[in-house]
This record gives sequence, C-alpha cells and structure tokens, in this order.
Amino acid sequence: MADLQLTVEDLYVRFPTSRGVVEAVNGVDFSLEKGEMLGIVGESGSGKSVTAKTLMNLLPRTAEVDGTITFEGEDVRAIAAEKRKHFWGVKMTMVFQDPMTSLNPVKRCGEQITETLRYHMGDDKATARKKAIDLLEQVGIPEPAKRIDQYPHELSGGLRQRVVIAMALACEPSLLIADEPTTAVDVTVQKRLLDLLDGLRRERGMSMILITHDLGVARGRCDDVAVMYGGRLVERAPTETLFDDSRHPYTDALLRTIPRIDQPSHTRLEPIEGRPPELINPPEQCAFAPRCRYAQPDCLEAIPPVGGVMGKHEFACFHPANTDRGREALAANVAAGETVTGLQIQGYAGVN
Amino acid sequence: MAGTGHAPLRDDPNVLLTIRDLEVEFPVGRKDVVHAVSGISFDVAEGETLGIVGESGCGKSTVAKSIIRLNDIKAGTIDYQGNDLATLEGEQLRQIRPDLQMIFQDPISSLNPRRKIRDVISEGIAVWGNTQGAWSQERIEELMVAVGIDPKFGERRPHQFSGGQCQRIGIARALALDPKVLICDEPVSALDVSVQAQVLNILEDMKNRYGLTLLFISHDLSVVKNVSDRIIVMYLGKVCEIGNADELYERPRHPYTRALLASIPEPAPTVDVSEGDIDGELPSPIHPPAGCRFNTRCQHVTDICLTEEPVMQQVGDSDHFLACHHPVEVSVGVS
Repeated sequence: MADLQLTVEDLYVRFPTSRGVVEAVNGVDFSLEKGEMLGIVGESGSGKSVTAKTLMNLLPRTAEVDGTITFEGEDVRAIAAEKRKHFWGVKMTMVFQDPMTSLNPVKRCGEQITETLRYHMGDDKATARKKAIDLLEQVGIPEPAKRIDQYPHELSGGLRQRVVIAMALACEPSLLIADEPTTAVDVTVQKRLLDLLDGLRRERGMSMILITHDLGVARGRCDDVAVMYGGRLVERAPTETLFDDSRHPYTDALLRTIPRIDQPSHTRLEPIEGRPPELINPPEQCAFAPRCRYAQPDCLEAIPPVGGVMGKHEFACFHPANTDRGREALAANVAAGETVTGLQIQGYAGVN
Repeated sequence: MAGTGHAPLRDDPNVLLTIRDLEVEFPVGRKDVVHAVSGISFDVAEGETLGIVGESGCGKSTVAKSIIRLNDIKAGTIDYQGNDLATLEGEQLRQIRPDLQMIFQDPISSLNPRRKIRDVISEGIAVWGNTQGAWSQERIEELMVAVGIDPKFGERRPHQFSGGQCQRIGIARALALDPKVLICDEPVSALDVSVQAQVLNILEDMKNRYGLTLLFISHDLSVVKNVSDRIIVMYLGKVCEIGNADELYERPRHPYTRALLASIPEPAPTVDVSEGDIDGELPSPIHPPAGCRFNTRCQHVTDICLTEEPVMQQVGDSDHFLACHHPVEVSVGVS
C-alpha cells in the first residue's frame, strides 16, 4: 500500500444546541494516500464540511469531537499547543467556498499572502513579497506585480478565489482541503479553477480533499469519491467504479436524479422523495431508509456497518444496488407498491 | 447594433409574448450606466417553455424582471396580447399583472416568515377576489395538493418547512391567480440535488395541468435543457444563440455556447473540451466592447468582430438562430 497521508478513524462530531444534540458526524472512517485527490460528495447537512473543519481544527468550542486523526504519522488532535500554530495553514490548509468572505476586505491581496509567509516561514518583507508575486503568477493571475497591491473588491470572483488558493499554497502544504471551491463562480471560471487546482496538485505532489455537492465536479477530477449522508460515509470507491457500478441506493438515486445533458429535453426526472434526515436524535436505523426504494425490515433495525471490499469499494447497506440482494429487495418493493417505510414506488405519487 | 435583429421572432398566432429591442440600463456613480440588457428580441409561444442561460452578469434576470416591470425599461416593447407591457401604467398595468407571475431563487426569503402559508398562498386571491372569483378554500387546498404540500399544514409558517417545500409553496402562490405566464428565476439553484428533481417535476406537471407558458432562467445548462422547448444563450446583455433545446445542444454554433457546453464538469459530447478555455474576464458592462461583445475572449476573433456587431441569422431553415461572424461549422443530420 502506498504511503498514507491521512487517516481518520471513528470520527464523531456533536453540537449541543437548545433543541438537542446535533449529531453532525457519526463514525466516519477514511484514509488518503500521498498525492491522492479524494472527493467528498454530499448534500447540505450530510456532514462533509463539518468533517473538513474538524480536520482543520476550525470547529467552535462547543463542538464535541471524538475519534483519531493521523496526519503523516502524527496524531493531529494531540499536537502540542506551541506546535499547533505552525501546523494548520502550513502542512494542512484549506480553501473555502466564498472568496469574498475568506479574504480580508480592508487589506491588500499581497499583504494577506505575505502575512502567512512572514509568520510561518520567518521571511523578511522583501522575500515574502517576491514569493507572493511568484505565487500569484503560479495561480494564473495576470499582472501579478500590479494585482498584489489591489484590494479584494477590485478583483472578480474568479481572481479572488485564485488569491485564496495562492494563500493556501504559500507554505507548501502537503494536504489541501478545498470546501466547495467553485460553488460561488460561473461554469467557465469553475473549469479554470479546477484545472488550476488539479495542475498544482500534480506539480507539487500534494494530496487534496475536494468537498462538493456537484457529482460532475467530483467525477471529472477525483481519484476516489466518498459519498456522505446523514453524517455517515455511505460509500467510497475509485471514481469510475462509484459512478458506473454504485452500491449504495443513495448514490444510485443521486446519479439518477440529476438532469443529464445528453438526455433529450423534457426527460422525466426521478426524484428522491422525502427530505434529508433529522440529525437530532436520529433513530437507530439506516438514515436513508425512509427515502430508499430498496428498504427492507432489517434496514429499520440497525445502522448498516461499512462493508464491501475494504480499501477498494466500501459501502454501508444491507441491500446494495446492482447486486442480487438489492435487486430482490427492489423487486419485492415494486411488487408491493411501497417499501417498508411506506414510500410509494408505483408511478409518480406526488411528493411530501 | 450587434447581436440584435428580429430574425428569431416568429410570425405565429400562438406567440403570447414578444420582446422587441429591449434595453435596460442602470445608472452607477455620477454619469456611468451599466448596460444590463442591450437590445434583445425574442418571443415565447403559448404553452412553451423558454430557457434563458448565461453566466452572472449576462442580463438574464434583468430580462425576466423587465417583463413583470420590476425594473425600469429604457427602450423596446414587450407585447403581450396586444398590450405593451413596457409602457403600461397604473390601473392597466395592475389589471394585467395577475397573468404574469414569478418564482424566485431563494425559496425561504421569498416567503413572509410571519405569515401562515395558507395566507401566503391566498393573498393574491384575497386582493383580486372581486374580479377573479371569490376567495375559495377549495382552490387553496387544490393548489397545495397539486404542489405536494398536505393542506393540513396550512396553518404552519415558512420556517417549519424545508427549502424544497418552501419553493413548492412559492409555486402554489404564483399559481393562485391562474396566470398565463410563469417566470422562474433560478428556481432550483438554492436546492440540494435530491430535492431539485421534485421541484422540476412539479413545474412540468403544473405547466401541463394549468396550461402555463414558462420562462425558465438558470445558469445550469443541464437543468435548462431538461425543462425547455427553446433556449436563449445570453452574454453581456446580448443574445448569442436561440434555438430548439435539443437542436441547440446537439449542434451549437456560437463559440460562446460551445464554451459553456465545454466548461461544465461533464462536457457535452458535441464539443471539444478545449473550447471551454476562454481567457480573461467578463468585460465591464459599463464599457462593453464594441463590435461583438464576446470578442475579447473568443477563439475565432477577427477584425470584423471588433467593429461590426453580428446580427441574428437563421441557421438553414431550422428553429436555430445565432449572432456571430464566424459560426462554428458542425456536421448536420447525425444526432
């Protein structure tokens, strides 16, 4: 097995709120090899951003975290206080969704990059500035010597996100976490940013975690894709396997529900009925069961453990899609016209 | 004028809405203006779904808002059943407004959080009670059932619903006055993918059930293709290409349309991925480029593009029009 860069074991994150404890992440395990690009796909509330923030130690103090995070052989959660400030932002960095709010509006772009360099690397002013211009050039900003003295509001959204990427790369990290880096930009800009990130990671041999809600983005760029639902990792596989031969009914349903550009117009979409799971006091059952067309009585009795081929194609389901067991379950449900949770699966029966 | 021309306008009695040379400008600072929409013409036939795609700043939302007069119109006409919506004022405008309804991008902020959803949906009926038939409890319930909201939740307030449900309530509200035209401005952009299909299916069902004409605005090319009969591609306040949805995606001719189709994460098979590499930034709409507005970023640019604005022209005899001096040749016939 290649070098493991990062392993996350049995990660739990809980947020106590006035309405109860929000169980945002419930026992997530995954690992990342050096130089790998892992996509984490999920909808709002699936726990993908909370997982990223846990890795970056950015959770609010009220969050209760449990589990082990090992980065290059080091237990991240046990890093001594004095070493911490030169760990995050140096070895492991993050790019956020909205470039406007992740840049300081009253500081010039250059200052925001040199600040990192001077603080972490101890560079003097002139060296830092030179490096910053270099970085801006690497991320494809035209006229870097001029842009470095501009304020964020003078740049377009795409350029701003490039500045944020330059900041993240300043200290030559070995892992970059990108949380929805292109959600706030247009498609043509998105393509250029993703090309940039992909190129930079190959050039530098950097590992990357790309968090996105867009299956297409993950498909085009990642080596492996992990799907999250209700705070759990429900499926993980090499990208092609996941998209061509998915096992978890949620992955399967997601792939079917998005309109495809190669379908003729007015193709009827297959919605995923129901709504995302409640994260406060979730019942001890498969979180997807109420919306799942494969659901059987055993899905309501226990949370399916992660199974499949470990390290290759992992999934957490008792009746996986595209297997005999799954097909049987689906056929039985179709024959009955509804699943064990009362989900109507004959024709289009309205929603709610 | 470039990117203009009336070629796409159809001479068809079924045409419900004809927009001719629409221009919208917004003042900025002391003397500058943003040229949001600069002379575009198109029409919508009854029962048709017209999709408008383009990136932020291309003017697609401004077009939609102009049609229901949410912003000032500088020039042009909007013909709707013999009325010019661009110049109607006062009571005449008020009388026509129930016919044109709109649903918005953010489903939660477009509902008043302090009101019960039954009241939200019925407000239009309450206002128009005298002319549009009396307030009727059944009508509200019918609408709620139609969009898949259980009528027993009518006493609840918007915060008790999810984003997808709020968007469905928004649809029910828009349908309450039995409109002819429904304008949807990015109706599914704020929704998760698993809910997106529910809302798109409902829009399709409502269109068939109530005989609606839809104007569907989105930046998502796949979504627009799925719902539309005809699609307009806009760039910087101009129309690049108009055509039948399948035809346009199968045989895109305008370099910008092709760039869009090549940029999406899973590019359309009809274009080459390298066509998505458009350089530079969107030019400022305050000082748009002369000639073809796409000339600063186009791979096929020549001298004529810098000076002369292309005029809308029909492609063969199909329902496909574009404004470009150097349209990309595509093989015809195979699909």
